Amino acid sequence: MLTGRIVCQFMPYITLAVFVLGVVYRIGRWHRAGVSRIPLFPAPSSKTGKWVRIAGEILTFNNLKATDQALWMGTTLFHGALFLVLLGHARVVADLSLLREAEHSDWAGAFLGLALLFAGFFLLVRRVSLNRVRTVSSFEDYASIVLILAVVISGDLMRFSSQFDLAQSRDLFSALLLFREPAIPSAPFFTLHFFLSQVLIMYIPFSKFLHIPGVFYSKSILYQQ
Amino acid sequence: MSAEGHAISQAELNRVREAIKGIEDGPRLLQVYMEICAKCGTCAEQCHLSRTDPDRCSNPAFRSDRVRRPYHIDHSMIGKLCTLAGMEKRDGLSEEALGEWLRDFYACTCCRRCAKFCPLGIDNSIITRKARSVLLSVGLIPTKLAATQNASEQYGNGEGISPSTFIDMTQFLEGELLEEHGVPIRIPVDQKADVLFVPPSGEILSFPETLMGCATFFHVAGISWTMSSEAFDAANFGFFTGDDQYMKRKNKVLHDACLKLGVKKLVIGECGHAYRVAKEVGGANFWGKIPYEVTSIFIIAADVLRRGGLKLDRDRNPEPVTYHDPCNFARSTGLTEEPRELLRACVREFREMTPNRDMNWCCGGGGGLAVLDGYEGVSKRTMSFHEFRMRRTGQMKLQQIRATGASYTAAPCANCKRQISQLMEYHKENVTVGGVLDLFDKAIVL
Repeated sequence: MLTGRIVCQFMPYITLAVFVLGVVYRIGRWHRAGVSRIPLFPAPSSKTGKWVRIAGEILTFNNLKATDQALWMGTTLFHGALFLVLLGHARVVADLSLLREAEHSDWAGAFLGLALLFAGFFLLVRRVSLNRVRTVSSFEDYASIVLILAVVISGDLMRFSSQFDLAQSRDLFSALLLFREPAIPSAPFFTLHFFLSQVLIMYIPFSKFLHIPGVFYSKSILYQQ
Repeated sequence: MSAEGHAISQAELNRVREAIKGIEDGPRLLQVYMEICAKCGTCAEQCHLSRTDPDRCSNPAFRSDRVRRPYHIDHSMIGKLCTLAGMEKRDGLSEEALGEWLRDFYACTCCRRCAKFCPLGIDNSIITRKARSVLLSVGLIPTKLAATQNASEQYGNGEGISPSTFIDMTQFLEGELLEEHGVPIRIPVDQKADVLFVPPSGEILSFPETLMGCATFFHVAGISWTMSSEAFDAANFGFFTGDDQYMKRKNKVLHDACLKLGVKKLVIGECGHAYRVAKEVGGANFWGKIPYEVTSIFIIAADVLRRGGLKLDRDRNPEPVTYHDPCNFARSTGLTEEPRELLRACVREFREMTPNRDMNWCCGGGGGLAVLDGYEGVSKRTMSFHEFRMRRTGQMKLQQIRATGASYTAAPCANCKRQISQLMEYHKENVTVGGVLDLFDKAIVL
């Protein structure tokens, strides 16, 4: 019970602070640094063209399509499923009629949870089995994917072990928001999933997960004519 | 100076550490590159070196990690605690490691092909150049590049040619041009003109046909042009060695000549990195508002060609010709179509390599590598730089050229020309390597 209290009542504030301050610190440093012009041609001639291209590359991973079909499929599935799963988590926090009324919400969530697990394992197996990837992989690279897999597995266990009552998590988040003492959700695996997720969130500013904001910074300099 | 026989002191190692730590203050791209690599292995698939060399030291991400690792250890919690406790950090930096840096960061040709494919937009050439400048700060630089820079500091050109010798050479080439075309074609030197033309100086010695072609072009186009006996070398090795101060000094030679001769245009000859430095790095970026425009021989030649009136006989170049896109033209200055227009107008049969343009494979000699032949004082390499270029970095290019079946490869870059012509010789391919304007010189009907 004490574990539940720590993870659900106190840790979220720490997580939020570490994440926000960490990201602001890291990205703030990027902003303070000078930018040197180093265009990679053919570069779009307008600012709009540049951002359209960056958006296209990030949404479709088309650079990879020409190189490594397997990686392209794996990473598209992984990032696509991750994005949709995060979107679906809006239901965990609040009662959004739009998502609730989506007929296949439960079915879609289950499918995406498994897809994410599959894609994550694919990336891990790829890292171990391909020589050119294994030789450049460090402890951090393995730790990152294992942490994500742990979050996904705990989430899937929670979903498939029993029906999770979303009212419990919504009460938890509204209590956290209003600084009230929350009721700790009783569902099995909830505490584990919530704990691992928070570890992952805190890890973002100090790891290669910085590639999420970073990709916009790098490409916007390279494609600037 | 080189790694062998050059003992690296503890103070110098600390200077290396400081320089790496300094990346935290920017430039932004380098800073971001320290933090975002996902280690997906894509660059290794798209690098001409790692594709032909299974050694992990040839893997672009592994090489870049040589800089990233000490940077991270310095910035990680554990690294900070070590610093506080006065303990030694295991950042992998040692005299031996710097020898490996010298070997690996000069094996990278800075061709930027990895940047075209990296899903996160990482351009390993930027990390390579930073590493080279760090090496330079402790006196580590391949002997031959140092020699070229030193010659350049003294004479204004990498070959160490004096102004009077240069004038003799232009006069000799004027004689050749007269013999070839039957009409006097001048190579004006140090005259007031609209255009200052500057090729890489190595070309004047090794590939004079290109310079002759350029002279013929200016002659038929009726452009008022000149060369300078003080600034006839557009090559700028500071770009390769990471020596920004030198790069600026060398660029100033061109800038001063432009002002002195009062030209409206600075036209760079067939050299990728020279054009990139003059246009994208130097020029207005160094000297503020400049009274002249920096352009390439290809841009003005294609412009004249489009306006019509040139009489070109394509049958004078009957052999199949292919075009090698130098990285610094295709990927770094976006110049791909103009040389093709010229070639199509000058040769009977033009064949594309695949892939081409911005996806082209590097010749295997970019970033200064083409100049290196022996061991250059770099420790622990099993083969000389020449063998390394022929058997490793040049393999992709060799296969590409073979596949076209062309008997002439136009490679408008001093680096690429040297690399590819040696490559053809080493592998006994019957392929001539030269410039684009060489073929113009043959095709033009005066």
